[in-house]
Amino acid sequence: MSVSVRNSPRSSGAHAGPARRRRPAPATLGAAAVAVVALLVPVLLPATQVSVYVLLLLAAIVVVGLSMLMGFAGQVSLGQASFTMIGGYTAALTATHGLPTWLGLLLAPVVAAACAALVGVPLLRLRGHQLAFATLAIQLILLSLVGRLEWTGGDIGLQGVPRLQVAGYEFAEEISYAYLALGALGLVVLVTRHIVTSRPGRGLRALATSEVAAASSGVPVAVYKQAVFSLSAGFAGLAGGIYAFYIGYVAPGSFPVLLSFEYVVMVVVGGAGTIWGALAGATAITLLLQLLNDIGTREGMPASAPTVLSYAVYGLLLVVVVLFLPRGLVPSATAWWDRRTASKPMEG
Amino acid sequence: MTTLLEVGSVGRAFGGVYAVRDVAMAVAEGETRAVIGPNGAGKSTLFNLISGHLAPDHGTLRYGTRRIDRLPPHARARLGIAIVFQGARLFHGMTALENVMVGAHARTRHGFLSATLRLPAHRREEAEIRADALAALDRVGLRDWAHRSADVLPLGQQRSLQVARALCARPRLLLLDEPASGLRAGEREALAQLVEGLRAEGLTMMLVEHDVAFVARLADRVSVLDLGRLIAEGTPEQIRDDPAVIAAYLGEEAA
Repeated sequence: MSVSVRNSPRSSGAHAGPARRRRPAPATLGAAAVAVVALLVPVLLPATQVSVYVLLLLAAIVVVGLSMLMGFAGQVSLGQASFTMIGGYTAALTATHGLPTWLGLLLAPVVAAACAALVGVPLLRLRGHQLAFATLAIQLILLSLVGRLEWTGGDIGLQGVPRLQVAGYEFAEEISYAYLALGALGLVVLVTRHIVTSRPGRGLRALATSEVAAASSGVPVAVYKQAVFSLSAGFAGLAGGIYAFYIGYVAPGSFPVLLSFEYVVMVVVGGAGTIWGALAGATAITLLLQLLNDIGTREGMPASAPTVLSYAVYGLLLVVVVLFLPRGLVPSATAWWDRRTASKPMEG
Repeated sequence: MTTLLEVGSVGRAFGGVYAVRDVAMAVAEGETRAVIGPNGAGKSTLFNLISGHLAPDHGTLRYGTRRIDRLPPHARARLGIAIVFQGARLFHGMTALENVMVGAHARTRHGFLSATLRLPAHRREEAEIRADALAALDRVGLRDWAHRSADVLPLGQQRSLQVARALCARPRLLLLDEPASGLRAGEREALAQLVEGLRAEGLTMMLVEHDVAFVARLADRVSVLDLGRLIAEGTPEQIRDDPAVIAAYLGEEAA
């Protein structure tokens, strides 16, 4: 499914002209290569490492949505993990109450998107920092609520979430979750690409530059922002749903505020508003976290080392990226490539 | 002639100071109306009241048979009001063609769901928008720039691109806020010819402009604002001889 990850949203905006049909663009070849690697990784990785890959894919699902929200609607959500959490708990509650697990997976993004639609009405009236803090506040409230309520299992959370079953097939192996997450990521990328390269996507990209000019062209700015907020929450909910079935339990501790920060750092490092940026950011940060975790859990390190290290590195990374690559890895690389090939007509 | 836009003594103050005060005017279908006045006369405020980016403190706006003074800007765009802003309000990170395609938003409807599912009707609409946008680019002489990033266009072309974006909306009322400012002589002439062409096609236009020759050539009627008030209205010839106007505006120019 991830073969559809063909083009960056920017270059595909101008539907390939005749000149580009003759020989595949570098972006197409690159995307095909990435897709092949993504499909092979679960087979090639040692079994103990597959979990890192699954978590990377789940993060990428969230980050693609958040990147759209930050890049197009210009809204920073510091509480995006709330929606991952809502998705996770939705799936876990559905499954532990004897309902079919596939229904839980289906409901996870729907409930998350619906919650976002609800809180989005007041929240999206806020701007800049205010919205960021409001989303953070929502996550703190949610964490506190879920940690106290009985039906969510309190601080212990919900244990014993059954494995996902779809049409008689049970997702039991690590590797099956890798492909499930990969399929979900492919779907999310496809949906995002379809939106970005069409009428609503143009409206979104327009309002990212100027809400006034976009509104004058007939773009219903508030409705579109709301739609992207819900969509990004839906993606996060989907990732949360898969997470619940994969790990087998959900607890408030699984969705800390740090996770929300991690998503934001992934978006900023990769470059907001691009699909490739989201994928690159999620990959880079996951690998880095893995490395930090290895260092932080070495003998002689204090128990808090991994957390402290993550916070420190997030802060450092944000400062470095904002200073030197303010647009993020992928847009900076694309701009560099465009400058090199400036003699040819630009496609974005 | 039927009235397309009726401004019913609107007022708008900022911090107690009126930027537009009791301005009333009626723009007929097919008319080209110039709005002139010294700096700070309230021209841009008036345009913002018409396009919906500002709400009037009092007064009404009637467009055809509808009251529009409480409608948000995007709803007014959907009714056929398009605006070319004074500055270059282009959308970054998009090609010239995509910028113009945004203009079609006002009269097309496919949303997130049909875009996601790529329904046949959606594909058809996309193809139509694309064809219309290319035609609009052609009209302003920017066809060759279609697939280039709008960010790299020179100022003159940026203005033309905004005009193309407005035309792609197929407006009934086109607002042009100082379209000729900052343009070189050749660009100015091309713009004047474009406006003349649109006028010949019967498009209703309102035009804020400082260039008196530009106004005299293109406008059917001229409304003169000074300190937020409408001080004169008439044909370009009548306005030229109006003592109040000479005192407030042309006098400064002549001095």
